[in-house]
Amino acid sequence: MLSSPSPAPSGRSIAASALRRAGLMERDRDERMRDVSDKPGGRKGTQKSRSRAHPHRPRAIDAVTGKDLPGASNASRASMLANRLATGESIAIRGASKGTLGRLRRNAVSGGPSTDIATESRVIGLWREFVNKRWNSSAKFLNLERIAEDEYVRRNALIPAGSSGSLHKEFSVIFKLASKLTPEVETVSLAHNNIISGSTIIGLPRYLPKLANLSLEGNKLRMWKDLDYISGRRGKLEHLRELVLVGNPLRELEYGNHQPDRYKGEIARRFPSLEILDSEAIAKIAFDVPQASTSTAAPAQPAATTFPCEMGSSFLTGVDGGIISNFFMRFFPLFDTQRSALVDVYHSEATFSFSANTTIPARARIEGYHTSKEMPNQRKLEWSHWLIGIHGGSRNLNRMGGGVEKMTKTLHVGSEEIVKTISALPSTRHDVAGAPEKFCVDAFPVTHGDSMHLFVTVHGQFIEEPVHGIRSFDRSFMLAPAPEGSRAKQNGWDVMILSDQLVVRAYSSHEAWKPGPMRVQAGDPLVPVASPAQLPPANAQAQGQLQEALSSIPEPQRSLVMQICQRTGLNVAFAVQCLEGNGWDLERAIANFEQVKGTLARDAFL
Amino acid sequence: MLTKNDIEIATRAADHFTRLYYATYDSATRVDDLPKLYRPSSALVWNGKPFQGSDGVRKLLSGMPITKHDVQSFDCHPIPGSQPPSLMVIVSGTVVHGKGPTGNPPNTPVKSIDGQPRVFSQTFMLVPDPNAPPTTTGEVAKYYVSADAMRFVG
Repeated sequence: MLSSPSPAPSGRSIAASALRRAGLMERDRDERMRDVSDKPGGRKGTQKSRSRAHPHRPRAIDAVTGKDLPGASNASRASMLANRLATGESIAIRGASKGTLGRLRRNAVSGGPSTDIATESRVIGLWREFVNKRWNSSAKFLNLERIAEDEYVRRNALIPAGSSGSLHKEFSVIFKLASKLTPEVETVSLAHNNIISGSTIIGLPRYLPKLANLSLEGNKLRMWKDLDYISGRRGKLEHLRELVLVGNPLRELEYGNHQPDRYKGEIARRFPSLEILDSEAIAKIAFDVPQASTSTAAPAQPAATTFPCEMGSSFLTGVDGGIISNFFMRFFPLFDTQRSALVDVYHSEATFSFSANTTIPARARIEGYHTSKEMPNQRKLEWSHWLIGIHGGSRNLNRMGGGVEKMTKTLHVGSEEIVKTISALPSTRHDVAGAPEKFCVDAFPVTHGDSMHLFVTVHGQFIEEPVHGIRSFDRSFMLAPAPEGSRAKQNGWDVMILSDQLVVRAYSSHEAWKPGPMRVQAGDPLVPVASPAQLPPANAQAQGQLQEALSSIPEPQRSLVMQICQRTGLNVAFAVQCLEGNGWDLERAIANFEQVKGTLARDAFL
Repeated sequence: MLTKNDIEIATRAADHFTRLYYATYDSATRVDDLPKLYRPSSALVWNGKPFQGSDGVRKLLSGMPITKHDVQSFDCHPIPGSQPPSLMVIVSGTVVHGKGPTGNPPNTPVKSIDGQPRVFSQTFMLVPDPNAPPTTTGEVAKYYVSADAMRFVG
């Protein structure tokens, strides 16, 4: 249904040009690809033919480092430095045990105290020079490709000879130096650096948190967790717009297994801000993000110290309350005693999932609902029955460590699978008949595509067996009228379930939704608050809304809906519902409206 | 039928939405900014009290004490039947109003629950806005809140 935006030529070329602009892609990618394929194993191949410049990758650095420098003097300088470094105990970064910068402290770049400041600052100086050589300030692009092959780096032995392993410390120094560049670095390429673990570049998000474009092309990243070292959560690269991972095993393996969507999903989930991955746009759903400009213009208002309205009782509108109560009075007892029988009420493509919120709520803790002697069974409740299970367990997307696989596995689609899943959940007892105040329902109709659905939320509690402890739950349903002849209708259900989402949480008292005024702070007087009157919309606006709502209704029905709106004053949604309930017979609908109009809420009308 | 890709995109959208929604709700500019996520036709019910559209959101928020939300769990279903599909998102978390426990008068009993975080449950229906053209690369559609039901539940 939602398909990734096809990599249309135009989209691709936009992405490619953006990449070029950002310096993440060479001018002629194809030419370069051929070039690389001429030399399998690229990196090593070029090392052997060191004297040969890389004709396909012209670099500013080549001009600076030049091949004309006397090799001998380079060698001696390098060895001199190497010798000094080998004995220079004080040149270090915290946590490092070996390597050129073996024991350079992390704050060494900013010149912390040291017993050998001269050597230390000399190494830092060399790296600073390297960073400056690789920095293109007009493009805000720091090109850190193929560092180990760099003439200047080799000449100065900045990377220990024979070092095949992680350049973690070197990268940390480079990133810290990069963080001092002006203008701020926007784009970094770390392509072809033989990076085998994300931990090597853990300094990247630390020092360049606002990075927009990053290439890790041609490295050896293999595991998803490698990306977690830099991925866009908790302040790590939260602004990353474009990422290139071409040529890393973690990408190539997924493509090899024909799972590009899985790959894209795993990456997109880790970098929520990402727009372009490997030169292709990432499909995403957008929202109207508040603009910073308007935010500053907002007048400072003193915040209210009371709630704008009281806690209200269950709110049902646009739907016969009997339908909702019949549904729940049948649904919950079956859920408690005979879950397999619920197969009839779920639509054949319905969705179900449950999630566990295991946090103990502050108010319930103070009241002693989880630890008091009066409620001994609460301590016996275990979350493990909900968190894990044969059908995938809790789908709390806030804690979805398992990635796309778990996300898919825990969403149950179709009545048969749903019934299988709910049958494996812990036993429950919902006392809907005995204690109605312990449940609270809000329900109203919503338009969905061409039809009206019911949006229903219910909050309440159940006893979990066999330990007989109490839990609270929230459950939201999308319901639709059961059509004549449907499995639901044939089995006596007026509605069928399209979507069912259950949240199970630690017990809180139903006092939470007791109708009446609520306190913000202790000591606040509980004075009744009148509900703010819903002002009828201005006439022109109402007409506009009417036209807007009508435009989505196909023609044969549209004129009927319009007539109902005009004759009854009902809004479009309710007019549609009224007509649907009366077989699209205008006069029957009007007669039906006359019978029930006294019970309709204000917002049923225009 | 729903594809893996649908589920994945829907989940990411819900993740993005919940972060954006509560960060905006808790910001100093919520009265101006939160209504942008709604449309005039949106229906919301706050603790059993109905409000209509972006204007209703503005009115509700202009009388709301300052808030600090903490999302503890959320879940999301794509609802087949429209293209791209609508999303139903359920959120469970806590919200502190006003100054929280530290804002209570000094003589407040230790056992008082007033000022403590409340548990909230909020369910959204998010639908694509056919009138909003995509503005960024890869954007499938721009979504808004068409229905919203919120309750304090603990």
